[in-house]
Formats: sequence, structure tokens, C-alpha cells
Amino acid sequence: MAGVLALLACAAPGAQAAESPAQVQARGLAAFVHRCGMCHREGGTGTYILARRLGAEQSLLEKRTDLQPLYVRTVVRWGLQNMPRLSRVEVPDADLDAIISYLLAPKPAAKP
Amino acid sequence: MKLILPPGVSQARFDQAMAAFARVIGQEWVLATDEDRETYLDMYSPGRDESHAAAGALAPANVAQIQAVLKIANEFHIPLWPISRGKNFGYGGAAPRMSGTVMLDLGRLNQILEVNEKQGYCILEPGVGFFDLWDHLKQNKIPLQMGIPGNGWGSVVGNALERGFSPAGDHSSNICGMEILLPTGELVRTGMGAMADGKAWPLFKHGFGPSWDQMVVQGNYAIVTKLCLWMKQEDEAAITLDIKLDKPEELKWYTEAMTPLRLRGVLDGLVRITSYQATATVPTLRSEWYQGKDSIPDSVIPLMMKRFNVGWWNGALRLSGYSDVCEVQLKRVQAQIARYTKQEFAVIRGPGNASPGPSTYPLQMTNWYGGRGGHIGYSPVMPADGKLVQEQFERTRRRYQEFGLDYSGTFYNDGRSVTNVNLILYGKDDAEQKDRVRKLFQALIKDAREQGYGEYRTHLSYMDDVAATYDFNHHALLRLNEKVKDAVDPNGILAPGRNGIWPKAYRDQRGKL
Repeated sequence: MAGVLALLACAAPGAQAAESPAQVQARGLAAFVHRCGMCHREGGTGTYILARRLGAEQSLLEKRTDLQPLYVRTVVRWGLQNMPRLSRVEVPDADLDAIISYLLAPKPAAKP
Repeated sequence: MKLILPPGVSQARFDQAMAAFARVIGQEWVLATDEDRETYLDMYSPGRDESHAAAGALAPANVAQIQAVLKIANEFHIPLWPISRGKNFGYGGAAPRMSGTVMLDLGRLNQILEVNEKQGYCILEPGVGFFDLWDHLKQNKIPLQMGIPGNGWGSVVGNALERGFSPAGDHSSNICGMEILLPTGELVRTGMGAMADGKAWPLFKHGFGPSWDQMVVQGNYAIVTKLCLWMKQEDEAAITLDIKLDKPEELKWYTEAMTPLRLRGVLDGLVRITSYQATATVPTLRSEWYQGKDSIPDSVIPLMMKRFNVGWWNGALRLSGYSDVCEVQLKRVQAQIARYTKQEFAVIRGPGNASPGPSTYPLQMTNWYGGRGGHIGYSPVMPADGKLVQEQFERTRRRYQEFGLDYSGTFYNDGRSVTNVNLILYGKDDAEQKDRVRKLFQALIKDAREQGYGEYRTHLSYMDDVAATYDFNHHALLRLNEKVKDAVDPNGILAPGRNGIWPKAYRDQRGKL
């Protein structure tokens, strides 16, 4: 996972070369809240529709553990179901890479 | 989406133009891959994606870069379609009218330039979204209110320029001055802004001589780079009457009752009443209610009304302002209602600043049929008259039933006119159903035209059809619009075909999809 994050950080044209994975994820969180949060956090349209399709436990993207970089990227640029497509003006590639690294960061272990 | 070239432009010329654009805005902001083109398609299109396919997009950072882009577009005859944030869902989203048009995405011009609490206005760039403005007001504790449309994801400027509205009223009526770029690249400020350092730019609408603001709204004569928009002071108190009318025929009395209250200013904004189905389309799927391919039958309506505790017609009638004034207004409203019905409606008192803010919540309605969905609206404007409104509703609902679609209607009463928004939902991948949607839409255009009603705004695919219904003196208005178009945009590069206005260079594209 660390290797993937490092690669993503390097691939992002807007990112500092020295940015740590934690810094990339922090940037990803900010971009996620700004660009995705209105639909994909608690109470959002995307969360409701995902709950309908995949069940409540899979409806919040920030809690998902099964997301893959290419999948997230493809959904953002090509849309999915009722989710409109997002252009590189709205979510530049560097922001999308940071969002992906944030969403794919290891999650705290769920309490039994 | 594969590249579709602008009409009459060769691949070599197109490539030269894109290279020239890259030199002035940076290669990074010339978006012209197949994937980029995909992101500018209309997600909810009722027709074919190829009918409104962008050849790419340009995202300049400032006015000087837009001017440089316009110069190149004029030289190479590249049509451009400006968008603010591209969230014009139901009307074409981020897509152009004519395939091969290059999007001019103004999303990077996203500054809130001023918010003035004392005089109640803001000056915005086109990329500012409703969420951005809302966050700015809350973070800076500015007690001003925003008119927020159902889909709050889009641009404040773009919505006002489309004549979007909300129960707060017609957002374009709050426009007070603009900074615009003509297609030839000249920068103009309208109204009092036409004076260098004009102090009343965001304060007095008209300036001196003809007013250009409304020429730019819904037009294709200029690109708006700054917009001054009036905002209402936050209210001290609000009283909401929870209106639920149990029978479809009650629309008539309700319209009659509300019209004088609105004209006398007891009510402000737009008095909204909407049919039962709007409550079901967001939280549930159609399959929970009905499996048939025809319209949802009347037997299902009471089930929906019971489950969501709503009436056939529903509206939150809102009084807001000073708390003591609201109480007096409430008495007047209740007395007026009592002339028509014995029914009493719940009164909810609250603070004046209780708006929940922007949301994308209603977009869930596109999931009504499950799978990929779409929505489109047919919204004619008619007199605020109970009998006519009732007839309009019944005629429209019969049409939905004729074409096997689920009726969903809303009436917005401003005291003189009523705008009747008819929402049509469909499955994006159901070709047979989309064919019925298109037939319904044409039938609604025809019906309204026969009544002397016209639409206030429409989807890209119907701009020519709706423009054609404005037909006094053999379409004199369209000829005037196009005469102005040819004068301000001699090469026809700006938004060809927007709202039926075609420049000389592309007039042969009229009606083509």
C-alpha cells in the first residue's frame, strides 16, 4: 500500500516531490470533502443510492475497503448509474490521485 | 467519446487551433482526450449522446486568457460553448447544443469577489457554486440569504443566467450588473458598472440607456466573467404552513386563494405546490409501487400519500421577516384559506435563518426506474388563474398517461404568472421508454402553444422547437435575436444554437440533432 501511495504522490503533477503519504492523504481528504462530500458523506445522495444498491455498510466511500484506484478513477470520469461525470476542471488529476490515496488508505480495524 | 469536429473545420485546422489554445492557457487546461469529451456529455440525455458532443474543453484561468482564447477561436472558426460549472442537469448538463463545439469551462474563475452585508449583494465569478457561497456566508457569519435551486451543486452565476428559480423567486431578477466579454474579445461592464469605478454597479440595475443584463441572460451574445447579484437580508422569523390538499381538483381554489396574497405582497417569492409523486421519487424506487409499463395507476396514489403523510398536492407556504409582521400576515393567509376550505393546516414557527443550505438530495429522483436514469422538464408559463391552472394540470396529466409515464407536476405562482414545471423521469437505457418521453415532450410543446403558453427554459434538444413557438409576426423575435447575434458575433463562435439563436455561420444546423 505504501508503494502505491508513493507512486500516486509522484504521479501527481501538482504535488510536491517531498510530500509524505500522510500529506497526500490530507490533501485527498480536503479534495474529497470539497468535491465529493456533498453526495458521498452521511446523508448525501450518493450515499443513499449506494445503500439502495449495495447495502448500508457499503454506502459510505470513506469506510469502504474494496475500492481500487482504476475503479474510482473510472467512476469519476465516466459516471456510474446516476452519478454525473466529473471533468478535469472540477477534479484535476492531481486532486483525483490524492482522493484515491485518501480513500485507499488503511482503515482502522473495525471493532468486533 | 470520439472526436466530432466542428462543422466545416478540418482535422488539421482543429489541431492547429488546439495547439494555439494550449499556448495561451497551458496544455494542462486543454482537455481533449476521449475521456475528457466523455465528461462533458449530458449524463441524463433523453436522446443520443452524439447529438450534443463536445470536441473538447478549454479551461482558462482569467479574463485575459479568455480574450486570448476568443481571438484564436475567431481566427480558426472554432465554436465555443461557455459553462460556469456544467451542472445544468435536465437541460443538457455540461454539453453544447451543436456537436463539435468546444466547451469553454469557466470553473477556474471561482472567486467570491465581494459580499456586502449592508446593501445585500455579492459579486461572483462563474465558477462559484452554491456550496461555496453557502460556506463563505457561514464561515464569515454573514447574515444574508441565498435562493437555492433543487440541485445545489451548480454555479450561482450559471443558474441566474439560465433564469433558474426557487421558492425565493426568479434568480435572474436579482442580477444587477455584469462584466461581460463580447465574442470579439471586448470587455464591457453593464449598468452603472459602465462607468469606470461606477459606485452603484451592484446597486442600481439599469444604468443609462438600454439595459444589457437581460440580453445576456439565456442568450449567446457574451460571456459573463463577473456577476452582481442581490441577496436578501436574513430574516428574524419564519412561519411555515404545511399545505396538504387531498384532492387533485383543489389546485384550482389554492391558486385562486394565493394569487391576491402574492400580488399584495403578503407572500413573496414563488408560491409552490407540487404533486404527491415528488415525495416518492427521491426515497423509493418505482418498482416498490408498480411494475407495469404504463403510468402508475390511481390506486397507488393513496398508498404513497399514506406512507409519506402527504396530500395529492403539497407545498410549504412560507412567511418570513419580522416576527410580529409574520404573525399578522399569517392571520391574513389563514383568513384567505378559510374562504375556500374548512381544512386547517399545521403552522410551524421557527427562526428566519433555518435554511438547510444547498443539497444534491433531489438528484436521487433519477434513480426512480433503477439503473441509469435521466430527467427532463417541460415548463410552460401561463396566467395565475385557478381555472386555467386546473385545466393545464388535467390536460398535462392525460398526456403523461397517454404515453405511459408517471405524472409529476409543480406550479410556481408569482401572482401574475404561473410556471408549471412538469418533471419527466426515465431509464437512460430504455430506448423504447425514451422514445415515449420524446413524444410526450413534443405533445406538451404543442398543447401549450395551442393555449398561448410558452416555455421559460428548455433542454438543448428542444431549443429550436421551443424557440419556434414564439411565433408572433412570423417569428420576428427570432429574426431580431439573430440580427443582433450576427452583429456582435460575426464569426458565430459563441454558443451557436443556444435557445434557438443560430449565427449566420451555422444557421443550417437549426433543427439538426
